[in-house]
Amino acid sequence: MDKKIEVGATPPVTSGEMRTDELAALYSLTDSLYRANTQVEILDAALNTITAVLGTRASILLFDDAGVMRFKAWRGLSDHYRTKLEGHSPWQPGFADPQPILVEDIASTDEPQWVKAAIKSEGICGLAFIPLVSRRKVIGKFMTYYPEPHQFQSSEIDLALTIARQLGFSLERLRADEELRESEERFRLMSEQAPVMIWMSDANGGCLHLNRMLRAFWGVENTELRDFDWQRTLHPDDSGAVERAVMGAITGRKGLSVEGRYRNSEGVYRMLRTTAHPRFSSSGEFLGMVGVNIDLTERYESEAALRESEERLRVALAAGRMGTWRYDLTTEQQSWDERQYELFGLPPSEPPSRDLFLSVVHPDDLSFVQFDLDDLPDGESFLDSEFRIIRPDGATRWIMAHALARSGADGKPVELIGVNFDITDQKENEEGLRLLLAELNHRVKNTLAVVQGLAFQTFKDGQATIEARKAFEGRLIALATAHNLLTQSNWENASLESLAMDVLDSQGVDKGRLAIHGPQVSLSSKAALALVLVLHELGTNALKYGALSNDSGGIDIRWHIDSARILRFMWREYGGPRVSPPKRIGFGSRLIEHAVERDLDANVMLDFASGGVVYTIEVPLHKLMDLPYEHTCR
Amino acid sequence: MSILVDKRILVVEDEAIVADMLECFLTELGAVVIGPAATVDSGLRLAKDANIDAAILDVNIRNEKVAPVAALLRQRNIPIVFATGYGESAEIDAAGATIIGKPYTKELVEAVLCSCFAR
Repeated sequence: MDKKIEVGATPPVTSGEMRTDELAALYSLTDSLYRANTQVEILDAALNTITAVLGTRASILLFDDAGVMRFKAWRGLSDHYRTKLEGHSPWQPGFADPQPILVEDIASTDEPQWVKAAIKSEGICGLAFIPLVSRRKVIGKFMTYYPEPHQFQSSEIDLALTIARQLGFSLERLRADEELRESEERFRLMSEQAPVMIWMSDANGGCLHLNRMLRAFWGVENTELRDFDWQRTLHPDDSGAVERAVMGAITGRKGLSVEGRYRNSEGVYRMLRTTAHPRFSSSGEFLGMVGVNIDLTERYESEAALRESEERLRVALAAGRMGTWRYDLTTEQQSWDERQYELFGLPPSEPPSRDLFLSVVHPDDLSFVQFDLDDLPDGESFLDSEFRIIRPDGATRWIMAHALARSGADGKPVELIGVNFDITDQKENEEGLRLLLAELNHRVKNTLAVVQGLAFQTFKDGQATIEARKAFEGRLIALATAHNLLTQSNWENASLESLAMDVLDSQGVDKGRLAIHGPQVSLSSKAALALVLVLHELGTNALKYGALSNDSGGIDIRWHIDSARILRFMWREYGGPRVSPPKRIGFGSRLIEHAVERDLDANVMLDFASGGVVYTIEVPLHKLMDLPYEHTCR
Repeated sequence: MSILVDKRILVVEDEAIVADMLECFLTELGAVVIGPAATVDSGLRLAKDANIDAAILDVNIRNEKVAPVAALLRQRNIPIVFATGYGESAEIDAAGATIIGKPYTKELVEAVLCSCFAR
């Protein structure tokens, strides 16, 4: 590269002697660049100066985004030339501290032949490459072209570098402006589309910007922002606190987070949480705040609803005097609420545990509260129990526990959640009722005994046969038997099997001669009293004349319930003496045939078959059970 | 000849009609009735001194428990049969004594007394 001059690392010192026209051109350049707003204007101003002071033909090239040096502005160059040499650059994009390259005569360089040819055919002999630099990196160059070999003067080079520096600065400023505009545009776009409310205020708290969502919230247009007073939309109860927080942030130039209710364009108050930060200029001047409002109304309302529902549950549990607890079956951890401790008379300082619970349970009732984990079914299941506790103060209380076992993903139970409550009063009431019924039964049977005594005295001395007296006495005792059974169940029901067993037992029938088979049937008090008299008469007849009157006979008593919910009861005697129908229908027979028939709407058949008496009853089950028909029909 | 003949049986029963009937039952069975006492006090007097082989006591005598009479009889090792409207499930301290429910038959009375003397 002989004739090509590389200017050294130290740029040539500007000589004191600058021509007036050069100074005027530089002044004009500075002024034009200052006024230029676009790249075209900047490049045009630069070319004006370059062609005025350095040479009539010149060009400015810049790297494009792909890093290719492109002609941006030129004077005195053909299209052909520019097309041919576009992209030809001595520097790669970003090259640091590039130096001007001054070529006196292209012919004496070792550039490729085609380059030399292209330059020559454009009528160019000497040329200069002046780098354009931004932040010390090359961003482009300007070129000057000369028709003859050109000797570059140092004043010429100084001038070129001064122009290049001015041009580089202006391009940099333009790019910064564009970047800022772009970034502001990006922010505006993002802010406009954001699904939150965004705002920007000036240093006094006045609105500079409200995004679309916030403008829609308040129903204001961009043109109305100057006069818009957001503070007037604050709920009166919240305005003091919010305004204090905002003024505090503005005067203290600090961040802000505050919640308050604001009236929206529909006149509805919404709870907004505002989070904001101060904005500063690059010189540190406070510009105002930028912030985001988030609508918390739904969250507030659902939290309030949740609080309300929790409060309701708490009060309901308090009203039911219920203690609640949870038992984690995997970790064996328990948690009890305050009332649970109160219920058990334990200090809340004691950590809840299965052992603490068991320590209070009455020793005789432990079996009611202990369960085997493996016995719990998969899925949800209920566990209920009644048990006594002995509280540390010595008081014995009855507790009812209702628990729900809940299962994990595999269906196995993982926790029990339950309530306990005190049922001591209820238990005492039940006991009182039981005692009352026992007392009533006692009196009824005393009365029956008095009736028996009256009959005994009345029919004494030949007024009636001993047989008649005995029959009466037997019937009275049969009634007493039914009373006993009913008393045991609080007069709710008596089992058919127990009734048959007890009444025949009271007549002294040998159990070995009885067979009783049938499903469990609970008789209402009415049905029990009717049936006991029938069974007693049948027993009396069997003892006197039938299967129990010899040593070998027996009675088979069985019943079943058919699909129509009809109870079919059969009393069948066997092995007794040969049977013949009675010659006279006595009270006993009438009782057998009519008591059940009339009282219970039953079909009754008494068959004096020669092999043994057969007595059958067919009666709808609901007639026996005192229940509405539909209830038993299922 | 029944084992009950000439046996002296204390009867404590406040219901006159029932007491009369029981007296008849016992007489028919050949026994001798001591009493009947219609109060706990008179029952106590008889239980203390009277010559008695066995006793049939109503559990409630005019709202009083017959227990003190039973206690005296136990001291004298006299067999006791309780008769009660509460039935066999009555909550009384029978202490091994037989309980019969009211109403009862002569046959039942005979059977329980016989088993008392058979022991």
